[in-house]
Amino acid sequence: MRLTFLIFAFFIAIISSVPGQGIGGPGTIKDDGRFAASTKQLNQFFRRFNGEESVDGNIRFYPGDSLYQNPALRKGFLNILFDNQTSSISPQLKQDFISHVLSQAYPFYLNFQREGWYAEVDTEFFFKGKREKVTLIMKIQPERLGFEWVIDQVIFPPFKNLFNKPVGESKDFLHPLSHELGFMNLRRAFQDSNLPESFTASSYKPDYLSIFLYEMKQNNLRFDTVSGVKFHFFQIGGWYFEVNQFNRPGFNTGWLISNLVRLGPGDKETILKYIYDQD
Amino acid sequence: MKNKFILFLGLFLSASLTVVAQDNISPARKQAIDSLALEKVKDLSKYIAIIGSKETQFSEANRVMDRAEELFAPGAEMGVSSINTSEIAYYKVRRYFERLMALNYDRVNITWYDIQYISDLERQPDGRYVGVITIYQRFEGTSIETGMNYRDTTKKDITIYVEKKQTQIAGRTIEFWDVMLGDVRVTETSA
Repeated sequence: MRLTFLIFAFFIAIISSVPGQGIGGPGTIKDDGRFAASTKQLNQFFRRFNGEESVDGNIRFYPGDSLYQNPALRKGFLNILFDNQTSSISPQLKQDFISHVLSQAYPFYLNFQREGWYAEVDTEFFFKGKREKVTLIMKIQPERLGFEWVIDQVIFPPFKNLFNKPVGESKDFLHPLSHELGFMNLRRAFQDSNLPESFTASSYKPDYLSIFLYEMKQNNLRFDTVSGVKFHFFQIGGWYFEVNQFNRPGFNTGWLISNLVRLGPGDKETILKYIYDQD
Repeated sequence: MKNKFILFLGLFLSASLTVVAQDNISPARKQAIDSLALEKVKDLSKYIAIIGSKETQFSEANRVMDRAEELFAPGAEMGVSSINTSEIAYYKVRRYFERLMALNYDRVNITWYDIQYISDLERQPDGRYVGVITIYQRFEGTSIETGMNYRDTTKKDITIYVEKKQTQIAGRTIEFWDVMLGDVRVTETSA
């Protein structure tokens, strides 16, 4: 066992001193450790969370490697994967989460290709000439030989108030014997009313994504830019966390957990509804 | 008859497994691809430094821009944002190089940090693999007339496309893995 460790340490020392690994060779600037510490890609967030790379990120561990998903390595990584400067996650909640993830009997891992994580992408579009904020909820799905990111929902404020279906006495209706008149009173629904959604079924829910795509095809919507990205994770049973990018001085930077919630019964659905509807 | 069927099924399954095995990238293969991708990124870094240098002649800068463009897949774009704005400005690769060349500094120094990060490779629907290499660049520009110094450090997330290709050498078909660069996200850091 000790011999294996010595060989491993020697191997790491050799790898890290191989010349030409850096980008520019002579004249490169030596990192003071900040960039090495930063969780530079979401891919690195996955690898660190799962304990699948070396501390410096230069060696990828695969199944069969002695340190692959090593609990001690994971514990070290998990502690640095939190936003320790601005988030209000209590130390106790954080420790409970880490203990849960590192459970000896049933450890939890993140899986890039498995469902249960979403990207929330803030963008800006021009809608009929006016700049508007649009949030896209995206997820990974299998497609032919590989995977792709797809838009699962769109949150677009101008659409929100388009379909305020009235309730109660203020809701207009087509009386129950309309069929006997060959629905001649549809005129009331489509010409006299400004709220044609009043005449839809109780189960009616506007499909904002379809309307959004339609408006884009009509050239009423033009993409301008992306203004922010964050990720929502539900892959760890009983927990939800949010990952944001922190671009700031210091060592606690990059993609980090900024929000952590222990899920009770029904909480997952509530959070998902909030993410998807932003109500 | 039953034995023949089992034999046929066995052959079919082993052929299928071979195909699957060919499509997977082993850790050793991944390491070789990483090295190749890093070489391309190093070339790009070298070209950026040459294009950005005020000592580079216009004709030479144009020649180097051509070389740099060849590293990229068609249509690749640079998405640039600064500390002050999270909005991304998009430039075609050539346009980005031209803007770099036209910067109004008398002295420009572009250097790179000794750190990089290479992601895993994920397969996309068309069968090609895609990955991202992250590097950090320091830019220093000095204007003698105004005495102004500008310095920034940017993080560059560079898409790489990895594809298995075939070539004929002396009548034999040789397969090899090719790497092309794709979209680049340039983010100003607080460093």
